[in-house]
Amino acid sequence: MKNRIKEFRARYDLTQEDLAKKVGVRRETIVFLESGKYNPSLNLAHEVAKVLKTTVDGLFIFEDKK
Amino acid sequence: MEKDKKKLVLIAIMTVILFLGVLVGAFMDFSSNMLDTKGIIFYLIPLILVVFMAFFIIRRYRDIKGGMPLEDERSRQVITKAAATSFYATLYWLLAISMFEPFFAKILFGTKTLDAGQTVGGAITGMAIFLFIFWIYYDEKGKLI
Repeated sequence: MKNRIKEFRARYDLTQEDLAKKVGVRRETIVFLESGKYNPSLNLAHEVAKVLKTTVDGLFIFEDKK
Repeated sequence: MEKDKKKLVLIAIMTVILFLGVLVGAFMDFSSNMLDTKGIIFYLIPLILVVFMAFFIIRRYRDIKGGMPLEDERSRQVITKAAATSFYATLYWLLAISMFEPFFAKILFGTKTLDAGQTVGGAITGMAIFLFIFWIYYDEKGKLI
């Protein structure tokens, strides 16, 4: 699953640490999320989207596995 | 945040107790001339764990001070997955202990067989080492599912 976290983060001039603090997770979680290595829970995805003033659909690019 | 700080203090206290236990044990063995190569290895494993825990505590303390939580959904997934995998690996470790019992008994204790305490101790030590290795592995891996 790809995402646009980095792009949105840059838009609001937030560091990974800033975003982690705002969302209430550890910095490593944001690092893995951003690199697409970690699939977040729906709650976390919603929380990140809320902080970055967008929607889950706008932030995460869902790919068909077929 | 206060809860996280309390948790970290508890981990620090347990680490200090482990460190003191290793220190006292090693000193007692040393003073009674019982500290041989096997003994040093026996004390080296918990000592490595203490060093690792010290780094872990310092890092997490900085994070808490910076306003980040001690654990989140990913770190909980990492420890759950590491615990499940280490339990699975321990079953094979126990099988290896029972199959190669004479070998382990001779190498580690200089006896022909292992008693119950040695077997359980070996299994628990193996499980702790597996948990430590898998924890680092899954924490670095990123992709958990």
